[in-house]
Amino acid sequence: MTTAGLEPSTSIPRSSQSRSKFGYVIPAVGFSLIAAFPFIAGPHYAILMFSGMGFAIALLGLNLLFGFTGLLSFGHAMFLAIGAYTTAYLTAAKIGNLEIILLTAAGVAILVAVPIGLLCIRYVRIYFSMLTLAFSMLLYSFLYKFYPITGGDEGLRIKMPRPALFDFSSLDTVGILTGPLYYYVFALLLLLTYAMWRIVSSPLGLGLRAIRENQQKAEYLGVNVQRNRLVVFVVAGVYGAIGGVIISIPVGLADPSLAYWVQSGNLVFMLLLGGYTNFFGPILGAVVFIFFQDQLMSHTEYWRLTFGILLALIVIFFPNGLMGIIDPRRRWSA
Amino acid sequence: MSILQAAGVQKFYGAFCALDGVNLSIDEGEHVSIIGPNGAGKTTLVNVLTGLLSPTAGSVTFKGRDIARLGPLRLSRLGMARSFQLVNIFPQLSVRETIALAAISTLGAGGRIFASLQRSKPVWDTVEGVSALFGFSSKLDQPAKNLSQGDKKLLDVASAFALKPEIILLDEPTSGVSTAEKSAIMQVLVRAAKETGIKAIIQVEHDMDIVFGYSSRIIAVHEGKVLADGSPEMIRSRSDVMAAVVGKL
Amino acid sequence: MISSINILVSGVFSAAVLFLVSAGLQIVFGVQKIVNLACGSFYAIGAYFGITALSWALRLQLPAALFIPVLIASGLVLALVLGPPIERLLRSIYHRDEHFQLLLTFALVLMFEDIIRMFWGASPLQINNVYLAFGELRLAPDLTIPNYNLIVIAVALAISLGFGWFLQATRFGKMVRATAENASICEALCIDLRKVYAVVFTLGVALGTIGGALVIPATAASLDMGVELIVDAFAVVIIGGLGSMPGALLGALVVGLTRAAAIWLYPEFEMLAIYVIVIAVLILRPRGLLGKAA
Repeated sequence: MTTAGLEPSTSIPRSSQSRSKFGYVIPAVGFSLIAAFPFIAGPHYAILMFSGMGFAIALLGLNLLFGFTGLLSFGHAMFLAIGAYTTAYLTAAKIGNLEIILLTAAGVAILVAVPIGLLCIRYVRIYFSMLTLAFSMLLYSFLYKFYPITGGDEGLRIKMPRPALFDFSSLDTVGILTGPLYYYVFALLLLLTYAMWRIVSSPLGLGLRAIRENQQKAEYLGVNVQRNRLVVFVVAGVYGAIGGVIISIPVGLADPSLAYWVQSGNLVFMLLLGGYTNFFGPILGAVVFIFFQDQLMSHTEYWRLTFGILLALIVIFFPNGLMGIIDPRRRWSA
Repeated sequence: MSILQAAGVQKFYGAFCALDGVNLSIDEGEHVSIIGPNGAGKTTLVNVLTGLLSPTAGSVTFKGRDIARLGPLRLSRLGMARSFQLVNIFPQLSVRETIALAAISTLGAGGRIFASLQRSKPVWDTVEGVSALFGFSSKLDQPAKNLSQGDKKLLDVASAFALKPEIILLDEPTSGVSTAEKSAIMQVLVRAAKETGIKAIIQVEHDMDIVFGYSSRIIAVHEGKVLADGSPEMIRSRSDVMAAVVGKL
Repeated sequence: MISSINILVSGVFSAAVLFLVSAGLQIVFGVQKIVNLACGSFYAIGAYFGITALSWALRLQLPAALFIPVLIASGLVLALVLGPPIERLLRSIYHRDEHFQLLLTFALVLMFEDIIRMFWGASPLQINNVYLAFGELRLAPDLTIPNYNLIVIAVALAISLGFGWFLQATRFGKMVRATAENASICEALCIDLRKVYAVVFTLGVALGTIGGALVIPATAASLDMGVELIVDAFAVVIIGGLGSMPGALLGALVVGLTRAAAIWLYPEFEMLAIYVIVIAVLILRPRGLLGKAA
């Protein structure tokens, strides 16, 4: 990947030892804010944050593909749909246990991501983007057209799942989404963020960045490019499906538009908004996008125009996104 | 003992014949220089020997195995490393990370997905050793793209050495480097080869001072064929080779 | 027999329109190396603007023979208005990573959807009676073909022939092709790349807007027609080969005919069939059926 336009304005040497303490302040403040959110904002906003956390999880996976490995998927929304439809099928079959749903969604994502990944990882750059887009549209057209199985354009209803050891009987839907389930999802976000942190700080994580920077040389230095790409594609798929389970809960519906290519484009948009060169960029991007969209939509029917202009400005002037503005020194994946 | 062999290697680019029946055999303990005028097929030869290109005909064997379609990854595991003629770095990875990458491969740790790289002592020991050898100790945290031209090329070589290979192929390791730096680089290379236990070095080289100063054997390539293959003294005594390869000398 | 002729005609009709839009995608990719996601948006806005132009023509009671020229002119005017400023915007990312080029054109997709909404509203628009005004061709007692479909096929053919002539025979066309081969050498030879890029991009836009304008008498214009068409256009260029004009023609025929056949025979497979072909091509022949090897 050529990065001519992406050179950081600063060239402060980064080191795994000398990273400033300040660098951890921003994510700490951010996570505290998410934790306190149901207490400081109304239920409408707390539920928005609930979805934001779901998107954040999906984006953490997407950024492992794009930010770290240099593969831009324009079909990642297919995994959101896999998560949502898994939730719909299981809750319809009276399996409401959230752990089972999450594990099943992850399992389905693996089953789908392995064969698709094996095909897609042979391609890079624009071909990877187009192939992933084609696969997501394949899923979309299946969901959209095969009414008896998928509910067609109406989609499938989702009943509120319940984690083991939780008792929701005294709560209404809003109470659940802003109370126990909110913190369940928050804990899941923390856990998956930590797992992702481990992945990018692992030997494999370094190999990923090497693949992004120079695939041929990486191979000569013994990096198993194809295997690593597949691993990343599958991990990203699992994160996407888990994110899909979560975002479908407040909506109560799994519908085919989740897999549409514009949805995938929006995911990439969120990533860029938050900053794909920063480890925490995806989380910030997801949350900011969701809230900004909500506010815009309540003020104008032309929110897409605003978003389009915003995206153009980011692409042209701020390719490192919001995190690049807030904290230009910590360019984790760069 | 022969470690790398090429037998009847041909390589065509369309109708153009870049290599025409090359035979060679590299033994342990040798430092072989491949020389020849521009366009003679030197880089093609290195690319075929390192599996980047597969030969149109003929075979390449490394440690007794046919490596024609093995690919760079498995060659690196078998114990072959190379550097490139043009600057070939990971622009945004630091010197430390670049060398660590090779160390990870040597340890077979490249697939460890949740392990902490930072706490992997063997990796950092290798990084420390190799960077000390190549004079990178004070530049470990520099992103590769910020290095000088000479250091970029040296980093490419250093990371190849960090693989602890049995054989290393260097495609013009000193090109684009000032004359003063050239012999310094060569001394580093020779010392590094000794310390990491490399069995053979194959080097494409234009600078005849370096060729005759460091090689134990010279292979002259001309128009895709091996023109001469022998000791530096023997090559120096062949006026036809010197004329073809070095031009007016 | 009857159904296969119907499939053929409607398939070639949609292939003709699809080819125009895909040709715009191809020429911009070939010269500027940008995969333009917004080409579907140009198609959509071309369709809406075509409706405006056509209703103006109807109000002036122009004869039906002038409808096609009016539609083509509306596409050209729109392209001249939109093309140069958008090309100017894209200029800021020519040297950048292709991922960012893709994303900037995605930003255009978002913007255009609302721009259309602003001017024409959210509900689908349709011009009635024009389609039928062109009459039908009766091949057999129970087999008729709408003349309009045949006219559009002929017009698309004429446009692509004219386009091919422009690229092959004119001085500027040769400059365009040379730029596609090697932009930096062309710049060194004092070819004004800015001008080439601006003209090529505007041409690409025009192919999209004219394509959109031409479908208007036959179908309604809706907000999502752009994002839907881009996926078809993508399928066309993947099947035919990115950057190849003959490939776009072949790809458009494959997609158009597959879709027409699926709608006729088994509507559930309408889109599915196309993506199965796309994926098969990408796996078996990643450069596309007529694409050049990298």
